[in-house]
Amino acid sequence: MSEVHINHVYKRFGDVTAVDDLSLLFKAGEFVSVLGPSGCGKTTLLRMLAGLETPSAGEISIGDKVVNDLPPGSRDIAMVFQTYALYPHMTVRGNIEYPLKKRRTPKAERAVKVKDAAELLQLEELLDRKPRQLSGGQQQRVALGRALVRDPAVFLLDEPLSNLDAKLRAHMRAELIQLHERIGKTMVYVTHDQLEAMTMSHRIAVLRFGVLQQFASPDEVYRKPANEFVAGFIGTPSMNFIAGEIDNSDGKLTFCGGGVALSVQAGLLPDGLIADGDKFLVKMGFRPEDIFIGDQGDDALVSVVEPTGHEVIVLIDLNGNEVVARVNPDVRLKAGDKVKLRFRPDKLHFFGTKEGIRLNV
Amino acid sequence: MSLKKKSRRVLFNLFAWSVIGLIAFPLIWMLVTSIKPQSELFLIPPTLLPSEITFEHYWRLIDETPFLTYMKNSIILALSTTAVVIVIATLGAHSLLRFSYPGRERLAQLVLFTYLLPSVVLIIPLYFLMIWIGLANSLISLVIAYTTFSLPYALWLLRSFMAAIPDDLESAALVDGATRMEAFIDVILPQALPGIISTALFTMILAWNEYLYALVLVNTDESRPLTTGVMSILITSFNIEWSLLMAASVMMSVPLIVAFVFLQKYLTRGFGAGAVKG
Ligand SMILES: Nc1ncnc2c1ncn2[C@@H]1O[C@H](COP(=O)(O)OP(=O)(O)OP(=O)(O)O)[C@@H](O)[C@H]1O
Ligand SMILES: [Mg+2]
Repeated sequence: MSEVHINHVYKRFGDVTAVDDLSLLFKAGEFVSVLGPSGCGKTTLLRMLAGLETPSAGEISIGDKVVNDLPPGSRDIAMVFQTYALYPHMTVRGNIEYPLKKRRTPKAERAVKVKDAAELLQLEELLDRKPRQLSGGQQQRVALGRALVRDPAVFLLDEPLSNLDAKLRAHMRAELIQLHERIGKTMVYVTHDQLEAMTMSHRIAVLRFGVLQQFASPDEVYRKPANEFVAGFIGTPSMNFIAGEIDNSDGKLTFCGGGVALSVQAGLLPDGLIADGDKFLVKMGFRPEDIFIGDQGDDALVSVVEPTGHEVIVLIDLNGNEVVARVNPDVRLKAGDKVKLRFRPDKLHFFGTKEGIRLNV
Repeated sequence: MSLKKKSRRVLFNLFAWSVIGLIAFPLIWMLVTSIKPQSELFLIPPTLLPSEITFEHYWRLIDETPFLTYMKNSIILALSTTAVVIVIATLGAHSLLRFSYPGRERLAQLVLFTYLLPSVVLIIPLYFLMIWIGLANSLISLVIAYTTFSLPYALWLLRSFMAAIPDDLESAALVDGATRMEAFIDVILPQALPGIISTALFTMILAWNEYLYALVLVNTDESRPLTTGVMSILITSFNIEWSLLMAASVMMSVPLIVAFVFLQKYLTRGFGAGAVKG
């Protein structure tokens, strides 16, 4: 169990900057997700932590040791690869045993440790099979077993569930959480699936083009997204945005845009952001669950209705802006219906137009 | 099955067997001739099955000619060329694929370029080079010569075989605590084995059958391989000793056939084994 300290780390491949001035501190025993769209540098970051890639600049420490110059084998980390990377010519036992062999663990001790890992992951019956004779979920467990068996300080997991079907993925998610609770090791979990990040981690680091966007708890990332990108990336269906402006007349803030005029609740935006009598260009964001369809509010037109069972996703045309709402399935709606929309005043997010930075208090 | 289908099958089989016959006949004739008594050699009509089976030609070959020396030379030559080529090509291919250093791609292209150079062009310079470094008329000179022209091809062949091995396998081994060399030996080599074996067979056949370089670079019986050796024993006088020639040919084919029989099963084994899922 060790903390991981990433200090102003860069990684460039020719012209591409895969990781750009990244600084993060993972606490000992923490389950951290690194989340971001494809190509944002997640794997590159993990490979740098593992020692498979050298940072172009910056420093990485594991525990209280700077590991920049340590080879992967000496870093006390274990990694589960996106492709699992099981050794095809070895049996399950051989695969799990391999890291122990490379660490010159005595044979008797090896056997015990392999047995323990196999038991923990329910692999006992499969020990003599080759990887190609296993299902995807079993292969995934073997990959985990190979990481577990030598009791590393830090686990690095690169989208370990992305190749499984939806049902198995949900199951393995739960198993991973349990596993983390049992062994309590620092885990760095890379994923582009925000649901995995939200459900499993203590904290989420959101990356985009190699740049850190936000590093906070799932709850905070969801409720107080640091910028427009995070706001749009986290949550399904994603947040709605309407461009407009806020004007200040006599200390009363009003948002105007998309044909809507809303008074902004006091305390939502920092005092003095907009001078009296001034205007400020913004983007207003609101989540699909934070609007209501009823008999009061702004006029809108239902364009598409998508029932999912426990809720209905409704696409609504609000004066030319497309807005997504989540509604109770008991509300009977169909395309073409004229409806009225209301916003939850305390759940409005405002972002600056330039960098998309969050303006809320 | 309809009549049309049936007759198509018969025709197809007929065709296939006649092609096989066409290819196999000279080989069968070679074998038959080598065990016929000399007297039966030029009978008209020729006998397909000899009236009497004799091994006298084989005995003569072994007793009266340096055939066994040539055979030994050829075996040493084929094995050592293959060993040298495979060791260099495997490590070289790995380096060209997995290490990063400036000019790596250029180097790979350069290697291909040397392969495109006709090997005949190199004979005379190599001959002078061998004399100059004092290796003329030795087996080593042939090992060097054969290596120069089989290495580029072997390197490219292995490079494409090894490119199919996922990078993550090596990374996993490194994370598991292996050194780069250990990762290469434990993980890459077993995956590359089918490719290595086919490349080895290719190199071996090339070294076994090579004639031109052997003719130019080696002029003593102690170092002559089978190809030039057999020619020199059998075609020196005015007549060609057909029986001896056929016996020699049969014996020359045996080692290659043995190698194939042994290695064939490795050629297909391991292909498509699921290194990573999907
Ligand atoms: N070895 C490399 N050489 C050159 N460019 C690379 C290399 N590895 C990664 N990159 C580039 O760096 C960027 C980040 O890649 P990375 O694999 O880290 O993304 P990722 O976030 O893991 O994406 P995914 O979700 O698709 O796995 C990409 O633009 C990629 O093209
Ligand atoms: Mg990746």
